[in-house]
Amino acid sequence: MMRFTKFLKVEVDVVVARNAFIPDNKSSKEYLENVAIAFMQEEFAKVNGFKENDVIKITSKGRSVNLKVKISDIAHEKGILIPNGIYASYLTSFDGFKRFKAEIELADGEITKPEEIIEKLKG
Amino acid sequence: MSGNTEYYTCAGCSCLCDDIEIDLDGENAKTVKTACRRGSNIFLEYKENRAEPAIEGRKVEFEEAIKKAQELIEKSKSLAIYGMDTIPIEAQKVAIELAEGKEAYIDNSSSYCLGDFVEMVLKKELPTATFDDVKDYAYVIFYWGVDPHNSLPRHMSRYTYYPRGKKRQRGYEEDRYLVVADIRKSHTAMLVAKNARFIQVDDDLKLVDAFIKVIDKQMPEKYADDAVRVIREMQKADFNVIMGGLGLRYGLKGNYEKFKEMINKMNEVAKVYFIPAGCHANMRGFNEVLFEKTGFVNKYSFKDGESSLDYAFFELLKNDKVDTTLIIGSDPVNSLPFEISKKLAKINTIVVDPRKSFTTQIAKVVIPSAISGVEQGGTMIRSDGVRVKVNSLFEREINDVYVLERLKEVVA
Repeated sequence: MMRFTKFLKVEVDVVVARNAFIPDNKSSKEYLENVAIAFMQEEFAKVNGFKENDVIKITSKGRSVNLKVKISDIAHEKGILIPNGIYASYLTSFDGFKRFKAEIELADGEITKPEEIIEKLKG
Repeated sequence: MSGNTEYYTCAGCSCLCDDIEIDLDGENAKTVKTACRRGSNIFLEYKENRAEPAIEGRKVEFEEAIKKAQELIEKSKSLAIYGMDTIPIEAQKVAIELAEGKEAYIDNSSSYCLGDFVEMVLKKELPTATFDDVKDYAYVIFYWGVDPHNSLPRHMSRYTYYPRGKKRQRGYEEDRYLVVADIRKSHTAMLVAKNARFIQVDDDLKLVDAFIKVIDKQMPEKYADDAVRVIREMQKADFNVIMGGLGLRYGLKGNYEKFKEMINKMNEVAKVYFIPAGCHANMRGFNEVLFEKTGFVNKYSFKDGESSLDYAFFELLKNDKVDTTLIIGSDPVNSLPFEISKKLAKINTIVVDPRKSFTTQIAKVVIPSAISGVEQGGTMIRSDGVRVKVNSLFEREINDVYVLERLKEVVA
């Protein structure tokens, strides 16, 4: 069934924070599972039509990544929290290093792989 | 710590916990006691994801990688040395000698992390204390813009809030007052219950202003109730501490004079100390070693003999000021904004690291080294300024001191 929110873009505050579950081994499955995440509060998700494990596209300053939604109270009320790491670094600049504006929307694809960012870096 | 048990040091973060117990089976860590989840994994999984010597993505012999790195450093007309946050000060000193010999730039992550706070502490512009003092005497323990639950997992349990100390014998519910100021309800903020206060702060400068105004008996624009309550609690004790993290650093937007004014004002009515609450194991070590040599904590040019924002690693990359960079024990592709880190793929990037990282994937030369606390010991400086002897599981011949001494041969 087509979801109405598929066409909805929401402007949000993105906060970047550390996550104790991110391991040092950046090649591991555990790394990806704990860093490719966008935390949002239950109420925020409900109002904006997102659900746990949805893949959302986050766009800031012309760059986008797809991350998986995780419902959690550790996010702030008006936006999402993403862990410190390659995805946050891809979206940020020093104008808004740990807190910046972005647009989020439901995505069709899979989560972005770090290798895709590395390729763009080599670009 | 006593008896026959051997204790190891975890160099996973700036807590530098030196009470780690490990059961070894040959060279494998079988069980790790006392460490946090992240620390345990450093010992249990140290053989995984190891860096291999490589030139432009092609695996080579270690010696070939060293020679290539030496050649690139020797030919470089503008070299930047960066990182060193996770290596012992003995290795940091060699890196600084190399930078001096080559008249290079040198910087670590503190230039966009907590270096400004460390500098203020070293210059005695902020009163500071050690974790031992905090454990024994602190009443108000104020985490501002930091979530130790995630970034410094044993900070509260080993050093600050939970332990009983000389003058704090009745447990945290009665003998401590916890304050957490954050933009969101972090895991640390969720601990705020009895004898505690969470300040959900949208504007750190307005909270700073609130403390100043409340002490001056004026009405602040925001956070009046929070400021009144926290100051009242601070006045109940002769020792209180503010632990400042990255959220505070960026929230102040460079207005450090206002922050120092607030700390000074607080000290007119109570006794308040400040400790930077940073993450990397030996970030402060680098700051102190460079400070001892040059009077500056980071972003230093040996060619110009001064520190400047222009010499911050990220500014040098942004402005295409370097042709070669030597990155030691750091993964800037993971932590720096994309527009900056993509420059690393365009210049001669040499990475010295025990593990594969995102930066090793774009480096011209990769030189493997040893993991601090596992395969190399030495000295590190905790975030409160205390020097800690890092007791490692093993000592490898090829470690950061060895690699950097080899690279230094080009300026000898």
